[in-house]
Amino acid sequence: MTPDATRKIEARQRGNALGFWFFRVSLRAFGLRGAYGLLYIVCSYYVIFDRRAVQAARAYVDRRFPDHGRWARLADVYRLFVSQGKNLIDRYYLISGVGRFGTRVEGEARLRDVMQSGHGIVLLTAHVGNWQTIMNYLGAFERKVNLVMRPEDNPAVRESLGIDRSGQTIGIISPEGYLGGVVESMNALGRGEVVSLMGDRSYGFNPVEVNFLGGRAWFASGAFHLAAMAGCPAVVLLSAKNGTHDYTVEVVSITRPRYQPGIPKREQLAGWVQAFAQVLEEYLIRHPYQCFLFYDIWQKPEVKNHPLET
Amino acid sequence: MQPVDRDQELVGIRAKLKELLVSNLNIEGITPDQIKDDDPLFGEGLGLDSLDAVEIVVILQRHFGVEVKDMEKGREIFRSVNTLANYVYDTKQGQK
Repeated sequence: MTPDATRKIEARQRGNALGFWFFRVSLRAFGLRGAYGLLYIVCSYYVIFDRRAVQAARAYVDRRFPDHGRWARLADVYRLFVSQGKNLIDRYYLISGVGRFGTRVEGEARLRDVMQSGHGIVLLTAHVGNWQTIMNYLGAFERKVNLVMRPEDNPAVRESLGIDRSGQTIGIISPEGYLGGVVESMNALGRGEVVSLMGDRSYGFNPVEVNFLGGRAWFASGAFHLAAMAGCPAVVLLSAKNGTHDYTVEVVSITRPRYQPGIPKREQLAGWVQAFAQVLEEYLIRHPYQCFLFYDIWQKPEVKNHPLET
Repeated sequence: MQPVDRDQELVGIRAKLKELLVSNLNIEGITPDQIKDDDPLFGEGLGLDSLDAVEIVVILQRHFGVEVKDMEKGREIFRSVNTLANYVYDTKQGQK
């Protein structure tokens, strides 16, 4: 695919309006724990009947738990599904104002320095933990955050996550648009805004091969290229759920990637992406059931022609 | 007299753009002279990708003081050296 074409990122949708409505009602009627209780039944269904969902989760589970047997790995998949279900319920809990979570921030002083500088920031996250808690936390800095993400085309998910209600402090830059949203991203960084990208899945657009969880995986490289070209810091921010009402947002790393003359840029990019993969791996060793990638990033993707990804 | 000035200025902008593309982007074995004015920049033409698009955005900003704000026009602007040069010229004229 060339950048002239409008690309479409394939993503399987699960859940429907009735299902989300049911969880919302349960949340209001029985609270967080009550809504979580339903998950154990729903996730059992997916583990037993949705082979594609299980297969998608196994790509991560097999590498994260290589010493687990067949049934233990199936239990790992189940725990992952439940964990992601809680994640979705928590997002709604936050957005709807039903309640709040206690959020502990590790490395806040470093982040505060960067956020208060007024310059553009590339925020690098991953399919780990709950990005809504990160957005909630960043809201205190009153900086516009642009999420590079495909427009949510499942109306039920879109409505449930409150994407339309996010207001002016959160913008969406579509990686499906012309040139993968790079021009909009550069303009946003130039205005001193935050541009947030997922770094752990390339969707085949300028992927970089890295060592990750004992294998060779393919990660996205666009975030570091943007940071290097715009002269911005790249901040890796991840969140993890610690208890029913507790989250931790961790400032995992803050780097300032800059291209050095005489070394091929793609070689330098690969080094930065590998460093990101390393910190992500260390994070998942500490939080094994917070990885919601559900995609085999260890399989070489069909290379396309765009750099940005969500 | 303006058309002559415009043409002369566009020749200079195109030459500078080609030099900057070759020196900044991952284009191997091509000299500025070998880039045709109407060669498509992406895909079948020079084979640039969106990593290169970021660099073109920076080239436009740093070397010509021009930003691409209207992405409705983006597809046309980024088509070739010719369209980039026209955009640079027209934008700078508008800034005067």
